[in-house]
Amino acid sequence: METILVVDDEQGILEALADLLREEGYRVLTASHGREALERMAELLPDLVLTDWMMPVLDGPALVERIRGESAWAGVALLGMSAVDVGALRVQYPGIPFLQKPFDIPALMRQVRKALDGGRASLG
Amino acid sequence: MSTGVPGLDAVLNGGLVSSGVYIVVGEPGAGKTLLANQLCYHQGRAGARCLYVTLLAESHARMLANMRDMAFFDPALLPEGVYYVSGFRTLEEQGLPGLLELLRREVRNHNASILVLDGLVQAQEAAGSSRDFKKFIHELQVAAGLARFTALMLTSSNGPTVHPEYTMVDGILELRERTMGVRSWRELQVRKFRGGATLPGVHTFRISNEGLEVFPRLEARVRRSQPPAPDTARVHFGIPSLDDLFPAGLAAGSSTLMLGPPGSGKTLMGSSLLAEGVRQGEPCLYMGFYEAPERLLHKLAAVGMDLGDAVKVGRMHIVWQPPVECTLDVLAHQLLSTVERHGIRRVFVDGLSAMGQAAPDASRMSSFFAALTQELRYLKATTIFSLETPRLFGAVLDMPLEVGPSAVAENLLFLRHVELEGRLRRLLSIFKLRDADFDSSLREFVISQQGIEVQPPFNSTLDTLLTGLARRAPGGHP
Repeated sequence: METILVVDDEQGILEALADLLREEGYRVLTASHGREALERMAELLPDLVLTDWMMPVLDGPALVERIRGESAWAGVALLGMSAVDVGALRVQYPGIPFLQKPFDIPALMRQVRKALDGGRASLG
Repeated sequence: MSTGVPGLDAVLNGGLVSSGVYIVVGEPGAGKTLLANQLCYHQGRAGARCLYVTLLAESHARMLANMRDMAFFDPALLPEGVYYVSGFRTLEEQGLPGLLELLRREVRNHNASILVLDGLVQAQEAAGSSRDFKKFIHELQVAAGLARFTALMLTSSNGPTVHPEYTMVDGILELRERTMGVRSWRELQVRKFRGGATLPGVHTFRISNEGLEVFPRLEARVRRSQPPAPDTARVHFGIPSLDDLFPAGLAAGSSTLMLGPPGSGKTLMGSSLLAEGVRQGEPCLYMGFYEAPERLLHKLAAVGMDLGDAVKVGRMHIVWQPPVECTLDVLAHQLLSTVERHGIRRVFVDGLSAMGQAAPDASRMSSFFAALTQELRYLKATTIFSLETPRLFGAVLDMPLEVGPSAVAENLLFLRHVELEGRLRRLLSIFKLRDADFDSSLREFVISQQGIEVQPPFNSTLDTLLTGLARRAPGGHP
């Protein structure tokens, strides 16, 4: 079973995403900010980290930097999401796919699948 | 610190005080979130960094989607200029101390000079006691002072009173929607403000794609100093037979009230003052409520007043506002800002009654009118206000407003109809004219393709004339 770590400071969105992904058959971990996400990852290595960009404590960019800086996490796929125009983020972080909030469920599932299938290779 | 909300800085006597803690209170939908965002993007554009912390269920994506069409919204400011985070979970798990820690830390991390806390009511509910809540506000104030950020806390109102816990903050702004019959309008009131005299009372605001726009209550913002001494210049209508009644003319910058029933010639007579102004090279303004500009110009052209070219070249300005659901202070703003912007010297407000209908509180009209004429006097604009009297005929002199307007206006003209020998005639009388001699006789005037012409005085008594059912005594003018 593939494991996805969902990171979002908005509780409602975090819970909704977790439920949707669980229903789709994934194992889901949650964290409400980057630092919590790092704690979760230390406990259980996810296949994909789906992370929001603006968050308290440790934000999306900082989380991504930490994940990429840790060789043990090199195989973890990344997928960003933000209410901010992700066009600029895609330019700034060319290696990471982004979901523009608000998104619909099929788009989410498609992107998650794509990230899981191809993410490791692109990060390699 | 400017709020970026048009009119609000004027109400706040310059804006918010830096490092202050403010509460914006109002029911859901009152415009609190919009106001706070408008402030953030305004300050963000000027280089400030703003932190927007929500404690509510509404997602940031939805909030941003709602603002996408607003003129002030600028996605380029995200996320550096305006940064959104949720404090909901922290509050749930760690209570007010945890939230306070999050606020302090995030302000520092983002080097924010503005903090918005949207959903203070959640924090209040999470507080164990009102003492804990007060402590939270106090500690936030201390943090704002130390870290030099200005905090805006948004909270739903629960009832007509403002919570006693709020009184320790530097300012409280209340937003509300009022309803009367089927009509509703929005109001802003400053309930408390440290560090400056704000404009007292209730101010109207509206929400459009521009965001919030506050229209400070005219009576509150009117200058208290004495208006400039009346100009020695005089103003004429440019109708020889009319100007002959008061050869010295109207004092420049004075206000004239022109009373009369519908159809008595108010629009044409008032417009002739503007037509003469245009001839003299003065910028003029017509503000009307009934006839659309095209129709008005057509009507004036039919009696020899062709103002179309003056409109095209920007010497004659027309502000047209259909008399539906307008707001008194918005009208005053339209009028005064146009006068100021274009250096208007002559103004004709065709329909003081329509303005009166814009006021939910009719008793306000007298003080409003006094303030409006005062401002126009400062701007040195000679103004005529037409005011419709409800009675078409009759001896009773109807004054549709309270005594205020007629006392405030320097000049008072009265137009009326009489039926005489099977013909409807128009009569003019001057009741009052400040600083000038005038002919007080009752005069008939006629309107033709050549314009208005005032007839010689009746040379015999028409003792029943003012009943509107006149009979001619032998020997009157033809």
